[in-house]
Amino acid sequence: MSDQPNVGRVQIDDVVIRFATKQGEMTALDRTRLVLEPGTFTALIGPSGCGKSTLMNAIAGFVTPSEGRLSLDGTPITGPSNDVGVIFQQYALFPWFTALGNVRFGLKQLGLSKAEEIDRARAALDEVGLSAHADKYPQQLSGGMKQRVAIARTFVVGPKVLLMDEPFGALDAQTRISMHSLLMGVWQKHRATVLFVTHDVDEALLLADDVRVMSQAPGRMIRHYNLTEPRPRAFSRSGPNLLEIREEILGLLRPDEDLIAT
Amino acid sequence: MAVTSTSQPRPPAAVWRRPLSALASGGAPLISFAFVLGIWTIVSLLKIVPETIFPSPWSVWFATIEMWQNGTMPNDLRVSLGRAAIGFAIGASLGVLLGLMTGRVAIVRTLLNPFLNLLRPIPAIALVPVAIVWFGIGEGSKYFVVSYTVFLTVWFNTHHGMQYVPGTYLRAARSLGASKLREFVTVIIPAAAPHIFAGIRLGVALAFLSLIAAELSGASSGLGFRLQEARQYIRTDRMFSLLIILGILGATVDYVVHRIGQKLVHWEQGQ
Ligand SMILES: Nc1ncnc2c1ncn2[C@@H]1O[C@H](COP(=O)(O)OP(=O)(O)O)[C@@H](O)[C@H]1O
Ligand SMILES: [Mg+2]
Repeated sequence: MSDQPNVGRVQIDDVVIRFATKQGEMTALDRTRLVLEPGTFTALIGPSGCGKSTLMNAIAGFVTPSEGRLSLDGTPITGPSNDVGVIFQQYALFPWFTALGNVRFGLKQLGLSKAEEIDRARAALDEVGLSAHADKYPQQLSGGMKQRVAIARTFVVGPKVLLMDEPFGALDAQTRISMHSLLMGVWQKHRATVLFVTHDVDEALLLADDVRVMSQAPGRMIRHYNLTEPRPRAFSRSGPNLLEIREEILGLLRPDEDLIAT
Repeated sequence: MAVTSTSQPRPPAAVWRRPLSALASGGAPLISFAFVLGIWTIVSLLKIVPETIFPSPWSVWFATIEMWQNGTMPNDLRVSLGRAAIGFAIGASLGVLLGLMTGRVAIVRTLLNPFLNLLRPIPAIALVPVAIVWFGIGEGSKYFVVSYTVFLTVWFNTHHGMQYVPGTYLRAARSLGASKLREFVTVIIPAAAPHIFAGIRLGVALAFLSLIAAELSGASSGLGFRLQEARQYIRTDRMFSLLIILGILGATVDYVVHRIGQKLVHWEQGQ
């Protein structure tokens, strides 16, 4: 599955998402047209409240768009499925299962023998460097470890698309850097199409093939950068390109921050 | 909790607090009992109140021995505990079952919740006359009163636990391909389990309360009946003995249920 370059194409056609609120209808995501090509890594960046999570929730099948359509490999997205994996910022591990139990959760539907299920789950934990912690409960793990379990749990079911909503936002800088290389490793092995929401410009530039910048709420796509620098990237050896893009994106995000501050 | 406490250095404030907290957790109950017993003894020795009104510790002790030796106490304990257990089992299982349903199925919720909420404020004692008319003075009316009381509490807590299942868990489960049934059994029920157990613990306490209420006014055996009988003979020593037994019984069962709950919902500790 991981060698097929043609699965995991996400097409977002003129999607608008509105919510009914007490003050009437509000637009959470303005008209958006976007294609995520199979196996690409897209970072989505934009001001808080511009609709990044809303767009993710629509791709995940949690939210139905008010207008437009979403499809995965030509099939309309009508609800959640294991084709689209999601990694949440608030680690959504089940606290009543061990790390291993959490990873096994997604494997249940495959109807494997118990031994094989455990073997696969252990292999997935091994991939994220957590074999030694398989029998611990989430409460006994650090934030970074929890997110690694979440990554293992999601990848083990072989999703075509992986949505990550500020997955490392709650981690300290050091842990975040090690999570980046871990994610790159796992992703290059499994090759899902990734959509990665972040508010950290550097994170976006270090990880993604495509960086998409969104406007203030109600959000829409205002800028697209295609990055071709080889990975692993670092600002120190990237040449001027990444630094220029970084300044530009910060500029796009900044003026509004000044407005909010006053 | 135990995992972290061994490796992490203790903050300075905790050092002087340690002996105090150790006292509070281990020895304090005994000290408290000894204190109250001491006051009780002094009051009895000073003969401030007549013995028939306020019995001394030793007469309560002898009343206990007497009831134990003539066989009423073991029998009453057996009968009352049996009634409480059966009533509790019926009420708790119905309560959990219906709570899971009203929590998840909109139509059941619409049909039943307003009615059940109306029943909740009715005290168990108020049901005893109805229970006696319906089920007579035998076991049936006891089971009814106890299971009814337990049912309402357990239902209410289960229902509420179901409302607070975090949306992220459901989303995670669905995007991992879980079927509705598996989501229900391995995500929703565990997520609601802490609330369900809180309801069960309350239910255990209420089982005793409502059982004694039922036994006081329509029974021919059991601890509640024996209390009522002691009133007729003005045997306050027996009353005190029965009350103390009830207290010890209730506290012990509550402790056991609490510990079982801690084992079963182990992930809730320290959150
Ligand atoms: N279920 C919902 N109901 C009502 N409003 C919502 C809902 N989900 C999101 N919103 C609103 O939509 C806007 C965009 O939210 P979100 O997508 O979470 O922003 P972001 O992730 O970019 O910070 C916000 O104003 C938010 O309050
Ligand atoms: Mg968000």
